[in-house]
Amino acid sequence: MAEPVPILKVAVVGHTNTGKTSLLRTLTRDGSFGKVSDSPGTTRHVEGSRLLAEGRPVLELFDTPGMEDGIALLEYLERLQQPGERLDGPARVQRFLDGPEAHGRFEQEARVLRKLLDCDAALYVIDARDPVLGKHRDELAILASCGRPLLPVLNFVGSPPHRADEWRAAMSRLALHAQVEFDTVAPALDGEQQLYSRLGMLLDRHRSTLTALMADLDRQRAARRVAAGRLVADMLIDIAALRLPVRTGEDERAALELLRGKARRREQQCVEALLALYRFRPEDYAAEPLPLADGRWGMDLFHPQALKDMGISLGKGMAAGAMAGATLDAFTAGLSLGTATILGAAAGGLWQGADRLGQRMLGRIRGWRELTVDDAVLRLLALRQQALVRALERRGHAARDPMRLPPPADEPLRKGPLPDALPEARSQPSWSTLSADYADSPRREAVARALAEQLSAEAPDAAAPPAAR
Amino acid sequence: MPPAAAPDALAAHWLAETVRIREAHWGPLEDSEAVRQALRQAGSFEDRVLLRARALGEREGLPATLRRWRHAAFATLALLACAAVLAGAGAATAALGDGSRPTNVLWALGTLLGLHLLTLLLWLSSFLLGGSEGSWLGQAWLWMTRRLARGPDAALAPQALTALLARNGSLRWLLGAVSHAWWLVALVAALLTLLVVLSTRRYGFAWETTLLHPETFVRLTHAVGWLPAQLGFPLPDAATVRASDGMQALPPDARTAWSGWLIGALAVYGIAPRLLAWALCAWRARRSLRRLGIDPALPGYANLRERLAPSVERLGIDAPDDRAYMPRLDRAGGGAGSAAVMAGIELPPDLAWPPFPVAEGVHCPEVLDTREQRKALLDALSQHPPARLLLACDARQTPDRGSLALIVELAALAARTGIWLMGAGSEPDRTPQWRERLAAAGLAAAPVLTEAGDAARWLEHGDG
Repeated sequence: MAEPVPILKVAVVGHTNTGKTSLLRTLTRDGSFGKVSDSPGTTRHVEGSRLLAEGRPVLELFDTPGMEDGIALLEYLERLQQPGERLDGPARVQRFLDGPEAHGRFEQEARVLRKLLDCDAALYVIDARDPVLGKHRDELAILASCGRPLLPVLNFVGSPPHRADEWRAAMSRLALHAQVEFDTVAPALDGEQQLYSRLGMLLDRHRSTLTALMADLDRQRAARRVAAGRLVADMLIDIAALRLPVRTGEDERAALELLRGKARRREQQCVEALLALYRFRPEDYAAEPLPLADGRWGMDLFHPQALKDMGISLGKGMAAGAMAGATLDAFTAGLSLGTATILGAAAGGLWQGADRLGQRMLGRIRGWRELTVDDAVLRLLALRQQALVRALERRGHAARDPMRLPPPADEPLRKGPLPDALPEARSQPSWSTLSADYADSPRREAVARALAEQLSAEAPDAAAPPAAR
Repeated sequence: MPPAAAPDALAAHWLAETVRIREAHWGPLEDSEAVRQALRQAGSFEDRVLLRARALGEREGLPATLRRWRHAAFATLALLACAAVLAGAGAATAALGDGSRPTNVLWALGTLLGLHLLTLLLWLSSFLLGGSEGSWLGQAWLWMTRRLARGPDAALAPQALTALLARNGSLRWLLGAVSHAWWLVALVAALLTLLVVLSTRRYGFAWETTLLHPETFVRLTHAVGWLPAQLGFPLPDAATVRASDGMQALPPDARTAWSGWLIGALAVYGIAPRLLAWALCAWRARRSLRRLGIDPALPGYANLRERLAPSVERLGIDAPDDRAYMPRLDRAGGGAGSAAVMAGIELPPDLAWPPFPVAEGVHCPEVLDTREQRKALLDALSQHPPARLLLACDARQTPDRGSLALIVELAALAARTGIWLMGAGSEPDRTPQWRERLAAAGLAAAPVLTEAGDAARWLEHGDG
């Protein structure tokens, strides 16, 4: 491990109602941090949050109240300076903080400046939809006089009528040449990386800290994607393997309803797990109910993997029987090799084979049929959850509207083969955790793992409509 | 918990997997205390998962279940070992027969080695074919243990163990080691039985054929006996083999040679390959068991990460909220004269100013943005207080304390003040925030206009 990196302290400052708390929410992936509303002065105190990389704290971010009275404060600060006296910026700010107005008219601004003097740098959050005004220039002059590097962060660049160019020009005129765009509601996938690397340019001493943080964020993102793939894969296998035996002539509609209910609940469970994984709340996602029009009747008794498994168990049964026979041979001691062993092998093989296939075949003969979820539904589930994972990756924790995924276009649902894992899962009813005789097997584990890899490999780049699967 | 030695690590991971599977199927356990315990210890996410599982497992009595299962597993192993001894000894005695007639050497060889070689080949072929979950004898061991270990959660223990070991890649080696050990015991028992029986009883050895030429047996005997002979086991010479056709009495030397040949074949083709295979399996199983780990992507673990190894900590607030300063209009100024003034406050450049041609006598300074512009208008108004002051604000901007302080200062100088929210209705519309803030600043009585026509009328006549 590298030598201990110093903790970097960064204040998030800016005019009122520009999204400072939202920026903190998104950077800390904590949707319940602070209070957010579209009105001035929502945040009234300084509140901090600390980011850890591999268990060690690396970055402390402080949310501050908005600056609201920059013009008057700058005037007041200038008055604090006696004629003929030379005070540098931080000293002048300190004099203000020690004075009476720091607890009076400028109490909110004083909190900001006190925290800023305590930090290594500040992110100056800008609502890019606002015009560049004199009050902004004055408040920047005050903040800059604290002698800390400022990185302007342009928020709301995702909404079309914004003035990011005006802001960029104005910032350059104030010698703030490093800037970064970061939409707190819908940040770019590499938004955090850009923000931290720009910050690293301003803070040479802390560059290693920020590099460690960025590496850790990358690792976390990759781990989340793998885990998300696994959650979706498990859900798909559970639903693909789910089958309900129905006796011919019984109420098929009730069975269908039961199947739908199980599948829907399982999907909902997966959605909740995904939301928790990405640290969103259940109300962040407005799900459409799963359109399960019809089930699928039939039996996947003869999927190659099912047959292979049966062959293996037949082989094992034979061998086990043979062992029993051999022992019998040994006990009888008179019968020479052969009879008992071979009889045993045959009996063992038959017994084990009948055990697995026979029960279901027998059921079929007795007039039971099996109801499973339709292929198209499996495809739809796969696409929907993929789209959800993609949307969660791109959603900022400041977003407050519930997410709505567009229903996937119908066309790709009908095309392309299912991932190999799903037909195999269909042939293995015991793989479904929804079934009463669920039994985990290493083969299920391997299949789920492979499917998860397939899913998470497809997830990242497909920003465009999902490819046919 | 210190990084434990291999058996402890296995127990810890087994318990963790049991807890994980249990939570995955029957819903999460209440774990706040367990998480607190885990968080008290420094360590990686993996260590804390194990600690949490230990705390939860102890509360649920899972270690006892696992212990019971382990005992059952060892008991089953002992049973299997007994069966192996019996099978081996039985096979040896069955191979030699009851001594009333000469032992058929090839049948004896087949009885001793046949099934063993067959299963060994099956095991070897499982490497080529892949996909097998381990040797069937090992599976039989698990199956029998399942029958032996009863009780709540008894099914969980083997499920967790096989899932854990299969993921880790050690399951097939472990089961292989069990299976090879079984055969090793059986074959050693057979060897000892052979030694004892051949030492204490007299057996004749013979080959029998109806179809084959006697020379075939000479070649076959030499082919089988060549490798053991390299290791010093006796090999019956061609004459002895030819003589052993069951028709003539054999000299004692020939019997010794035959029994040595049989023992050699058992040792070299039976015990030696099983020993090698067992050693390989045991070595691979040990090696994989040392690499046991927690896969953080598994369902159940992925969602624990933020709780056990948080990537974010809240730091709290600096000080509780104070009474916030709010500018407030105490009383409107006494406006002498009838002058009307229209002022734009912090309007963006894309709004035309003045928005409509102002009437004669209406004073309309440039948009107030900087401190100097503010000062200039304040000075002008205190010189000549207006009867009507129309302040135009941008409804899309957030009303902040600075703007409201200016509005209040200006309003204090005019007899009547009207607020015109320009751009109301276009995104982002903050008209409600403006109304609320204006009311809070003591301007509740001031008309708030949103239409240009209303604003112009108010400016001219003083009514909306």
